[in-house]
Amino acid sequence: MTLPAHPLLNRRRFLNDAATGLGSIALAHLLGRQGLLSATVSGKSSLRPDIDPARPYAARAPHLNARAKNVLMIFCSGACSHLDTFDYKPELIRHHGKPLPGSEKLITFQGEQGALTQSPWEFKPRGQSGKMISELVPHLAAMADDICFIHSMRGKTNTHGPGENFMSTGNTLDGFPSVGAWVTYAMGSDDQSLPAYVAIPDPRGKPQNSVNNWAPGFLPAAFQGTDFNASQSIRNLSRPAGVGAMTDTKTREFLRRLNERHLERFPGDTELAARIASYELAARMQLSVPEVADLSTEPESILKLYGADEQGTKIKDLRAAYAKNCILARRLIERGVRFVQLFNGAYQTGGEGVSNWDGHKELREQYSVHGPVLDKPTAGLLEDLKQRGLLRDTLVVWCTEFGRMPTFQKGSRGRDHNPSGFTCWMAGAGVKPGYSHGATDEFGHKAAQDAVSVYDFHATILHLLGLDHERLTFYHNGLERRLTDVHGSVVKEILA
Amino acid sequence: MILALAASGEERGQGAFNHWSFQPVVRPSLPSISLPAGRQASPIDAFVAARLQAQGLALAPEADRRTLIRRLFLVMLGLPPSPERVRAFVHDPRPDAYERLVDEALADPAYGERWARHWLDVIRFAESNGFETNRERPNAWRFRDYVIQALNEDKPYDAFVREQIAGDALGVDVATGFLVGGAVDIVGSPDPVLTAQQRADQLDDMVATTSTAFLGLTLGCARCHDHKFDPLSQREYYSMSAIYSGVRHADRPIRSEGDPAKKERSDALKKRLSELDQERIELEPLATPAIAGRTNSIRRASVNARWNVDRFAPIRARRVRFTIREVAGGGQPCIDELEVFSGARNVASARAGAKATASSTLPGYAIHKLEHLIDDAYGNDHSWISDEAGGGWAEVEFAEPVVVDHVIWSRDRLRGFSDRVAARYLIEASLNPGEWVSVADGSDRRPPGVSGERDLESEIVALPPGQAERRRRVEAEQNKIRDELTALAQAPMAYAGAFSQPGETHLLHRGDPMQKKEIVPPATLRVFSPIIMSPDEPEQQRRLRLARWLADPANPLTPRVMVNRLWQHHFGVGLVDTPNDFGKNGSRPTHPELLDWLASEFMASGWSVKAAHRAILLSATWRQSSAPRPEGLRGDAADRLLWRYPPRRLEAESIRDSMLLITGALDRRAGGPSFHLHEVDRENVYHYHPKERFGSEEFRRMVYAYKVRMEQDGIFGAFDCPDGSQVAPRRASSTTPLQALNLFNSRFLQDQAELLCARLQREAPSGVDARIRRAWQLAYAREASQEELADALAFESEQGLPALARALLNSNELLFIP
Repeated sequence: MTLPAHPLLNRRRFLNDAATGLGSIALAHLLGRQGLLSATVSGKSSLRPDIDPARPYAARAPHLNARAKNVLMIFCSGACSHLDTFDYKPELIRHHGKPLPGSEKLITFQGEQGALTQSPWEFKPRGQSGKMISELVPHLAAMADDICFIHSMRGKTNTHGPGENFMSTGNTLDGFPSVGAWVTYAMGSDDQSLPAYVAIPDPRGKPQNSVNNWAPGFLPAAFQGTDFNASQSIRNLSRPAGVGAMTDTKTREFLRRLNERHLERFPGDTELAARIASYELAARMQLSVPEVADLSTEPESILKLYGADEQGTKIKDLRAAYAKNCILARRLIERGVRFVQLFNGAYQTGGEGVSNWDGHKELREQYSVHGPVLDKPTAGLLEDLKQRGLLRDTLVVWCTEFGRMPTFQKGSRGRDHNPSGFTCWMAGAGVKPGYSHGATDEFGHKAAQDAVSVYDFHATILHLLGLDHERLTFYHNGLERRLTDVHGSVVKEILA
Repeated sequence: MILALAASGEERGQGAFNHWSFQPVVRPSLPSISLPAGRQASPIDAFVAARLQAQGLALAPEADRRTLIRRLFLVMLGLPPSPERVRAFVHDPRPDAYERLVDEALADPAYGERWARHWLDVIRFAESNGFETNRERPNAWRFRDYVIQALNEDKPYDAFVREQIAGDALGVDVATGFLVGGAVDIVGSPDPVLTAQQRADQLDDMVATTSTAFLGLTLGCARCHDHKFDPLSQREYYSMSAIYSGVRHADRPIRSEGDPAKKERSDALKKRLSELDQERIELEPLATPAIAGRTNSIRRASVNARWNVDRFAPIRARRVRFTIREVAGGGQPCIDELEVFSGARNVASARAGAKATASSTLPGYAIHKLEHLIDDAYGNDHSWISDEAGGGWAEVEFAEPVVVDHVIWSRDRLRGFSDRVAARYLIEASLNPGEWVSVADGSDRRPPGVSGERDLESEIVALPPGQAERRRRVEAEQNKIRDELTALAQAPMAYAGAFSQPGETHLLHRGDPMQKKEIVPPATLRVFSPIIMSPDEPEQQRRLRLARWLADPANPLTPRVMVNRLWQHHFGVGLVDTPNDFGKNGSRPTHPELLDWLASEFMASGWSVKAAHRAILLSATWRQSSAPRPEGLRGDAADRLLWRYPPRRLEAESIRDSMLLITGALDRRAGGPSFHLHEVDRENVYHYHPKERFGSEEFRRMVYAYKVRMEQDGIFGAFDCPDGSQVAPRRASSTTPLQALNLFNSRFLQDQAELLCARLQREAPSGVDARIRRAWQLAYAREASQEELADALAFESEQGLPALARALLNSNELLFIP
């Protein structure tokens, strides 16, 4: 074939110049207003990351000394009961069957309260710390010495959608950027052939508030979470059926020539250069995503550790499917993906409590499935990260939208929603291992000591990444927006 | 009360109200400038050139005609010009060729379809509720059509403003869809705190959207405390909230006169439908109940929610029993109607003297009673639900023994719900008490899939050839008639809100709905002659007075904010680049006098949006070249002073629309219900799965696509498409590898590439050379250069025309406004 007259080499050099030298042209498009106003937020000047639109995922330095480089956020969708997992309340056992004092007038999400009800699962001391953890999650319990529990979480909504939004985006409404979007906006990624931010939905489907959990909100779409899991790859990732490999490559090259010729008419236009670069990143992703999602090279011992090796019963099948997502999460972290959000629980099949943690009516029966599905794979993931030394740089966050009541609902065998007190935990980079922070009241109803708001929780995550939650901002609709709105303070007590 | 609300002279003196945007619009005098000979300077150019001159810069030369027409069409219509249109313009010798082209573009209905999207972004319009349930709003599209029509007929902007706030008082019912265009959490709970919070969030959405959309004021910031930067008090926030406190999210009937022609048509259709029903039944395969110990062979389609037939050999019976053995997805089964036919006559109808009994009935719901099973009324609101998870039975006794031959049953014949469908069941007939004969069960049906309607085709294929053909024809006609009947039957409804006289509004301490403080009256804002109403002001009157206040020609914000939006969508960035914030924390205009000139012209023209467009489109500023120049890049890289026309990427919708137009697939049908870019599972919580294969129904312009909150189109959503959850006064324009994957690899794009090939072969049959030239004209509105032609020819000969089409549809030039 005939090649065009101009040597491509020159074009390439020119492109590089375009992408580095004149980066500010399209930056204005990308980041909204520039230079006309110096934004000040609560007395602190905001720090907007300096983003090269041709390389939006280039690694960017944080504001402060970072303790963690990346984050793995495990989200139990449906509201996982703290009282049946990590929050041991002897008084609840003692008062089993009696009314919760003051509950006569208490109306929670689904209505009136029945009696205080102890967990169907026994709590036992674990590890050197002797931390009391329930038999529902024995493998996670065995990791107690590595975990930093926060028992005094406090939300502000008792509805799943807004609750998931709050935990994932810092706002109860739809349409705000997720934690992962903020983090990749601030820091880019260390790996340039995988998405900087990956959301791994549960094998059973999406969480209750669906894609809003990893949405970019008003941040540029470049910072949205890319969702895929071990069984379902990225949409449109592979070469289309019917197009041969050679044709595909040649088409890419031809497209590049079209675009380079066009760029010659707009020298220095980084938006055009960025589009050319995006096809190259896409081509790299086309190779690297299937590679990272291919678990066939994982040894038997790893499959065993995560519980991905056993199948044949409903629980084992589900557990194996979730375990594969856990292995995928580790592989992504290993390759330097900045933010991984791993979901346990979905709303797409069965509804209330069937495939997520929403145990209103049949808590024992439903959690007898959810517990084992979560437990071994998640513990295996922690253990694996630890053995590989990845916990040194990775912050693992386990969370859920809110907790559940210490009572059973009136006329029911399950617990209603409770945003007043619940448990989340962190492990790994920068947090104290084997530590418990804050406490709920004697029955586990409300955060009573060292309450931690969701804003505080987010501020702490950003802090560990070296980001000042009061200074990381993006202008939208009249405000320098923050992940933590106008709230939040770092929970210093849990920092190692 | 009045004293407390009106701004004191002292406060004004302090400067809070001295902010530039609160001052009256004053028509400025024009700066004098000189342009090179032969170029006419409009007032717009005078302001722009004066500012450029001060920076040692100047306007660029005029762009060539090909660029001009392409820019004009992409920006104004969201579609590229046809090669024929380009040729005609390029060779048009008339001195006013360009002016004519501008008038033609402004008269094109595609204009409203393009610019409506900008307004819908500003007011967070979408057609689903958002949050976890995210249910559809099937009547919300009427508001979208209202906006398109308003733009196309150049409805004066002041009327457009008034109608959206109080259209019910102005004879334009549908326009109040603006008020309820936002997200709403419909999860109900006995918890009073939650309920109060949900209501407070709804009102906040209305108040905040009104103030940003029309006034460019971020009043939403005053929900919990006085505004930090602007003279907007928390009290004023709640006074504005009081204006809307009688507005609720709901469909509302659109008032229109009855139409006798409609009734006649409807009667004729119903008659034809019943004939077709009869014909269709005969084309159903016979049910074959399972025989113990044998595996039944599958020859019937799976059950579905809206219509199932079980046809069997005629049998004389006094009663029929329907037993549910399993429910798809669990829960108690629901049947909205159980009909048993003797030929064409339904004998299982209360009207025919039939009686129903059942194993149980879900207690406490008037809409789910046993009598609804045989009441001749369809839909969830007239249905029976058993009180047994996964089971139950219902029996119908006829007035007298009769020969029956088929049963028709459904979950929701009005297509609202698809849960609670009986997946496995048994139908028995009985003549004598206690003696039952099985006539049908589900064992010869396919197992239920995600959507039971998908495998009908397999059932049809199994029929003898002649019958299959007939059944397809019958079904196609039936579907058409049903759609038309549905449309005819509905007193048109629009998602435009419901209104009722509200009680008192309290200021809420720190925005907490449980901390009510003093009562506040309905009132508009102090930034411009406030109207303070009585606390018992009639509901509609509150909104009407707000509407008139917003559109008052003396209100300095309303015209400025709107002309700035128009400017923004012409040039990518507004003169004020914080389009929803004209307050102290917003940016100052780059050209304050130009902004005021545009605003005063706008009002002088009778608030004509098209006149404003025309003024901009005829300016040299708009017509200048977009080529970069070193001095411009050095002095003003972001091009805020407009030393060149700013080139930029098209938005998601226009990329899709342009592709479809280029390939010849675009369906130009305007208006009406939206088409879906998703497969929808309508459980209690709705799930949306982006479609991967599209047919001609989905090849309409994207403004007609069902706008689902949160859930994006699988291909074009990644192009910074707002999801309707929050207002989007200005879209980001980012570049991501997902965009590249979506365009390079999607089935949609492959299909479009093939359509483009077919078009090229059709329109340029003479050879590859001609096809390539035509492709360039279609995609880029220009001729291919010699270099491009040579490269493309070589590429085509190796890899074929579809590969070439694929590359063109992915190329930068196609996606950029030049």
